[in-house]
Amino acid sequence: MAYVVTEGCINCKQMDCVEVCPVDCFREGPNMLVIDPNECVDCTLCVPACPEKAIFRDGDVPVEQHQFVALNEEMAEVWELIDEKGDVPADASDWSGRVGKFEFLQR
Amino acid sequence: MNQTEPLNIPTYQKEDFASDQTPRWCPGCGDYSILAQLQRVMPAIAEQTQTPRENMVFISGIGCSSRFPYYMNTYGFHSIHGRAPTLALGLQVSRPELMTWVVTGDGDALSIGGNHLMHCLRRNLNVKILLFNNRIYGLTKGQYSPTSELGKRTKSSPLGSVARPLNPLSIALASQATFVARAVDRDPKLLQDVITQAALHKGSAIVEIYQNCNIFNDGAFAHVSERKSRDDNTLKLQHGEPLVFGRQRDKAVVLNEQLQPRVVATSEISESDLLIHDTSRDNSGLTYALSQLQYPEFPVPVGIFRALKAPTYEERVHQQVNEAKRQKPATALQQLLDSGETWRVAE
Repeated sequence: MAYVVTEGCINCKQMDCVEVCPVDCFREGPNMLVIDPNECVDCTLCVPACPEKAIFRDGDVPVEQHQFVALNEEMAEVWELIDEKGDVPADASDWSGRVGKFEFLQR
Repeated sequence: MNQTEPLNIPTYQKEDFASDQTPRWCPGCGDYSILAQLQRVMPAIAEQTQTPRENMVFISGIGCSSRFPYYMNTYGFHSIHGRAPTLALGLQVSRPELMTWVVTGDGDALSIGGNHLMHCLRRNLNVKILLFNNRIYGLTKGQYSPTSELGKRTKSSPLGSVARPLNPLSIALASQATFVARAVDRDPKLLQDVITQAALHKGSAIVEIYQNCNIFNDGAFAHVSERKSRDDNTLKLQHGEPLVFGRQRDKAVVLNEQLQPRVVATSEISESDLLIHDTSRDNSGLTYALSQLQYPEFPVPVGIFRALKAPTYEERVHQQVNEAKRQKPATALQQLLDSGETWRVAE
């Protein structure tokens, strides 16, 4: 039980989710955010906040994005907590809506 | 109660306590955090108390908080407004082996149910009461509640509330509750710890949980929940530890000559002048004074205020019944009916 950030976040990283999360469960990587599944309380607030529609309930993650469930869990242990929106990448709009971004993920 | 054989308790996971219902609160509600933290600690509570899931009951009244039993994979009642403690009492007396929880809110517990809450606490029924305090009526869309602050503008107090707020923990202490604590929805570690200690307590345990209603009273507890300010605005009560707080732990709550609390810098006083927190204090004077500390003049105390050992209501009931049975062995019902004063009505 937790929500999961998927491919849509890669290189877009709008961080509106961070502003609304009541329990500060987002972790920040170089070009993507993840949710710490041990901190998420399933409040659903981040889902409509994400302009890229990149956040899903773990049971509803599209089949082709299932790898992100494990990725969120793994990187939550590594990446640092983020509780304030930072600077959005300058080329975010170029990456918006693109598929097959997994290969561009930086760890 | 008469269970002597050890039960074979399965090893539970957090998921075992989640029902098949999808929680329905407003997105971002503090209730999600309380539910999640409770489900996270339930496996350990089940193990430590040797209570199987089927011996756990969650009883609620009316309000947003009272949707709770639907989401727990245990037994539960969504009962009538303010009356959850009465159902808990009947159940716990007849089935003392159960672990009974009451989930309530500031409206349910302190308005319509204020009377029942007080008597449940004074009786020391073995029940764990989680009081979600969001200082507003959420389910009915934003009217002032018994804990709304003076001057609070709501739909039912457009010019500001003219009633002073109740302090749930002061009432609990005055009602002689044997376990009294406060936690915050956005501090998961504190919430998990306090819930666990409440569950392990034998007797009436009440936990006031500051819960953010992000729709009708957003930010009511921001001073104690924001990561940046909470260390400076809360006093974490720990048994045997001094009443020291602040990010640098450089401030203390002490009593002056008139026994009134005040905040001092720790550098201004000697270590022997620090007050040491004692949850086993039966005389409630200092504990009551702690419950009255209000932000911004004082830090908000969180954690366990009081934890006392005392016989429970159901223990006393069963002891009395058993003693009466011992002194006067069971008699046939007809014999009993014929035994007292009887008379014949003239025709």
